[in-house]
Amino acid sequence: MSIESTPADASPPRADLVAAVLWMVFGAAITVGAWTMDRLEHRHINPYEIPGLVPGVLGAVILLLGLALAVRAVARGAMGGARTEAAGPAAVGPEGAAEARRRMAQVLAATLVYALVLVGHGVPFWLATLVFVAGFIWHFDGERQRELGRGPGARGWRALVFGAATSATVTLVFEQIFLVRLP
Amino acid sequence: MFDGLIAFWHSLSTFLTPTTIFYVLASSLVGVIIGALPGLTATMGVALMTTLTIKMPSDVALLILICTYVGAIYGGSRSAILLNIPGTPASAAACLDGYALARQGLAGRAMGIATTGSVLGTLIGMFFLAWFTPVLGDLALKFGAYEFFWLAVFGVIVSATLTGGDALKGWIAGFAGLFIATIGQDGIHAYERFSFGIRDLAGGFSLVPALVGAFGFAEILVAMHEKRPPVKISALDSVIPRLKDVWQYRRTVFRSGVIGTFIGIVPGVGEDVAAWSSYAAAKRSSKEKAQFGKGSVEGLMAAETGDNACVPGAMIPVLTLQVPGSAPAAVLMAAMLIHGVKPGPMIMIESPQFVYDVVAMMLLATLGILLYGLTLTGFLIQVLRVPTTIITPMLFVLCTVGTYALASRLFDVWTMLGFGLLGFVLRLYRFPVAPLVLGIVLGDLMEKSLRRGLVLSDGSLLPFVTRPISLVLVAIIVAVVALRFQAVQRLLRIGPKAGA
Repeated sequence: MSIESTPADASPPRADLVAAVLWMVFGAAITVGAWTMDRLEHRHINPYEIPGLVPGVLGAVILLLGLALAVRAVARGAMGGARTEAAGPAAVGPEGAAEARRRMAQVLAATLVYALVLVGHGVPFWLATLVFVAGFIWHFDGERQRELGRGPGARGWRALVFGAATSATVTLVFEQIFLVRLP
Repeated sequence: MFDGLIAFWHSLSTFLTPTTIFYVLASSLVGVIIGALPGLTATMGVALMTTLTIKMPSDVALLILICTYVGAIYGGSRSAILLNIPGTPASAAACLDGYALARQGLAGRAMGIATTGSVLGTLIGMFFLAWFTPVLGDLALKFGAYEFFWLAVFGVIVSATLTGGDALKGWIAGFAGLFIATIGQDGIHAYERFSFGIRDLAGGFSLVPALVGAFGFAEILVAMHEKRPPVKISALDSVIPRLKDVWQYRRTVFRSGVIGTFIGIVPGVGEDVAAWSSYAAAKRSSKEKAQFGKGSVEGLMAAETGDNACVPGAMIPVLTLQVPGSAPAAVLMAAMLIHGVKPGPMIMIESPQFVYDVVAMMLLATLGILLYGLTLTGFLIQVLRVPTTIITPMLFVLCTVGTYALASRLFDVWTMLGFGLLGFVLRLYRFPVAPLVLGIVLGDLMEKSLRRGLVLSDGSLLPFVTRPISLVLVAIIVAVVALRFQAVQRLLRIGPKAGA
């Protein structure tokens, strides 16, 4: 007996198995954490109000559902030679997949540096935003700009204009209209 | 009847000021643009606008959010028709016939049909919102801890099962969402759970940053991951809707409006299911079945009427039960709570006028999309040509500054980032994100109801399954879960053949 999923939703069985194991570990950790949680007996509370009750039940359910996913993945051939990768953009070869991974690593690096490092750590918000937006557009829109026949100078100016416009608009709107103290 | 009309007129008249009309026009336009851009969803739009309107008066902020919501659901049809890419998941059904009409050189007519269907769908849903909310409000007064517990579980299970995709993964995501809601101080004894001594986590994760992350940042990452090719759009014919189309398919319009509204009422299901269900119902009863998928005016009309009727429908359980009917409605509900509006069973007793305020907001949003549907085609085509690589950094800045603006806490920005990464990874592994979010929204209700119910019954589980409303909810949950098992499907001969 298995739970149906349509072919369009299906991800590789090996990827499902990896995800299932992670969910099972997560569910087990929650259950253990809930079981060992203080039951507030010194407060003489009703035993049905202990704080770990609901997380414990939810952890057990996640563990069981993870187990069901693992069983289904194995039944679909996860232990054979199936692929491990998660679903990616459709119809891309190995080179396309590698390029997508590289692009995602760069996107993640840019967004995380902006949100975790530039914002709220001494750099003025307007400057951090200008640098982030201009840098992002200059780098990721570069290929399209080159196809349009634009040189590095034109690309740089264009990115700078978008960055300055975004930075000025967001700073003015949040500080002057919404009266928010920006990070 | 007349009391309702008077209350509605009173609400509408309070919104008819130049400033409010400006907000309606601006937020509907923002919604239409967000909806039209592939990869950006109505949930993302409403979540982002929640952060931008946090300092505004509650009625203005909610008006802006509702206009954004209605506009985004409507806007999704633009890219569905012109590019064969649904701007929002709700518009996937519109791709089938909308794009087929566009390929026949009838893109303008298709957009006119989509505008008509969307406007009529919202109006039908609006009527049911005004009529059905007081009725469901009366029923909601009969709900106790047992019923609310099952309602929360029902929302997560049904959302995971009916929103398409893999039900098992949806259930896992939904229960993970319910667990996430338990992090931080528990609602009864203020005991800190799973906060690992992190002071910011003692209050749990704030809902709006989590939603902005799961639907905003995650969608930005998905859009950059997929790298769409440049947009090519052919010439357009007239976008003015034809009355003949409306009259000819009036039954389809009404049926789709009713289906869309009632699917909206089901917790956590949403506009995409409403569109597909309306489309399927229209196809079943149509005299032109063969035309469906090849440029059927009736099919496009049904899909667009259904998804827009779902918007007011999704507000009905928000207002009466404090349970969202769809993912964008979940964000709207969170925004209501932030602004001090408390929806739920007592709403028809404590603030009945608010229900008619929401109906009036829906009407104004409908007028907004009608205006833009008739006038903004050229502008929207230009918007569709803006590449993802230029829009995404700007949206990310809004995600960051918007979440910070909620409480001036960097922890909210980190929450947004964390949920964005989680949402992206879940999407990669084909786990639906809507049940996760619904789980986070409903977690508190589920936990408090379970613990209160157990205390009231002194640990007995019997009242959870013997009270009439609980019993109905349990029966539906069991049926919904059982129907996903291949063995049950084979038994009933409704599912895929063996080996599927």
